[in-house]
Amino acid sequence: MILKTFLIFIVALIGYSDAFTGTSLIQRPLVMGMLTGLVLGDLKDGIIMGGAMELAMVGSVSIGAYIPPDMVSGTILGTALAIQAHADSAAALTLGIPIATIVLALETAIGQPLKLIFVHRIDKNAQDGDTKAIARNMIIGGYAGKLPGLVIVPTAFYFGQHAVTTLLSNMPKFISTGMTIASGLLPALGFAMLAQMIMNKKVAVFFFIGFFMVAYGNLSTTGVALFAALIIIVMYIFVERKDDKKGQDTATETAAGQATEEQGDGFDEF
Amino acid sequence: MSFKIQPEYKGKITKKDLQKVFWRSIPTEHLWNYERMMNVGYTFAMIPILKKLYPKKEDLSAALTRSLEVYNVTPYIITLPEGIATAMEEQNASDPDFDTQSISAVKLAMMGPLSGVGDAFFWGTLRILATGVGTSLAMQGNILGPLLFLIIFDVPHFIIRYVMTFLGYGLGSNVIDKLKKSGIMDKVMEYASIMGIMVVGGMTMSMSKINFITKIGSSKGAQTIQGLLDGIAPGLGVLALFGVMYWMLKKKMNPLLIMLIVLIVSIAGAYFNILGV
Repeated sequence: MILKTFLIFIVALIGYSDAFTGTSLIQRPLVMGMLTGLVLGDLKDGIIMGGAMELAMVGSVSIGAYIPPDMVSGTILGTALAIQAHADSAAALTLGIPIATIVLALETAIGQPLKLIFVHRIDKNAQDGDTKAIARNMIIGGYAGKLPGLVIVPTAFYFGQHAVTTLLSNMPKFISTGMTIASGLLPALGFAMLAQMIMNKKVAVFFFIGFFMVAYGNLSTTGVALFAALIIIVMYIFVERKDDKKGQDTATETAAGQATEEQGDGFDEF
Repeated sequence: MSFKIQPEYKGKITKKDLQKVFWRSIPTEHLWNYERMMNVGYTFAMIPILKKLYPKKEDLSAALTRSLEVYNVTPYIITLPEGIATAMEEQNASDPDFDTQSISAVKLAMMGPLSGVGDAFFWGTLRILATGVGTSLAMQGNILGPLLFLIIFDVPHFIIRYVMTFLGYGLGSNVIDKLKKSGIMDKVMEYASIMGIMVVGGMTMSMSKINFITKIGSSKGAQTIQGLLDGIAPGLGVLALFGVMYWMLKKKMNPLLIMLIVLIVSIAGAYFNILGV
């Protein structure tokens, strides 16, 4: 158990190094679920649970003012406790989401102020021209911000197993059914959040095209992306080029000639 | 439009220095903070450049302090503004009349448009593709799911991050103006968001699930509400679900609160036998 707790801590450390490794998405539930399953000797269930968590949290990306729930702690603890209790991915989700929310709150309350201490120390380092100290403070400061998660994950794993197992086995049927239903509903929230980011009047129609392609044609995501690329090409050929010609008609000859040339060249370079 | 994007190394900065910027740009978001966001990450990447260009301590500390102002952009393409800033810092180091404010101005002017393109491409398109492939395999317990997820996202990500460093340096500062005026930035952004939103539309349908199991009438072969909805158009239920979520977000409701509502509705739905698996 001590060894497992230590390994779980290492998984958490990997997850919290997501930003350090280039925001490489190793903190996503898909990856965290796999690693948790691996260290607990149940790789397959870990992967499946990670996949379910990923879908529930697909909209959890830090864009603008929104800071997503802490996926690292949520996925590790949800998956680990569900595996140990021999439960399914709905249970992992039920356990994981509240944990992710609580840890986010703690990180905002404790981690961010800790980070700011280091940011201000770096200001001083800059005045002194001490670049080594900047690097050092950056590395320590980043992990200091993740302190709540780094402490909670191994602790909750070590003490939580028994309590969680009892809780799950005594749970009424409708709650677990409800959780399975929720795991179908939550992706819609994630995609709605994503859509908000890129939606505007001009592109809204394409949402519906993609949606009904799958609803009627049962296309895979790759298929939809392929058609999207084709539609963009069609738009470029028929709409973009036409606009160029219009421009040529109305503007004076020299200016229009330049405009067409500019647009053509620009696109080739990209 | 003609502009030189091939970098020429005429000054102190060499290809090796730019490669250092690339490597050091990787932990950009490590010390992301509410106050100035990516400022430390940006500065960390620029350190080798600034140290080389400003041997005098007071110049160096001025440049470091200048770099520590607020910055935020899609992290995967931060090397582009970093490359551009490198070109401008180089100019500044050799030209005493250079206005350092223009470095900040160019840097900040790019935050918006770059994040627009970057977020739409990396978060909205590439990540969704990776997630789509990854989760569908992972749900079957296939280890390729998580692995492909990382490969699909990170291989293009690191290539683009690398290329952007040199592109940025080559672009310098005046070309950005040209790009903006020609409207290419807007076009790229528009096309990227079209692709992104279509994939989001498709995945909303394939990944979300709602099933109304209430029966209409009491006869044995009575239809469920879900069957009726599917008869009108498949996916109508999911579309309505998406619409409600979208509307709640638009009303500026906290996503965590919406999550809680979903959980309560699901359990209540199961208890009263309205919603099914």
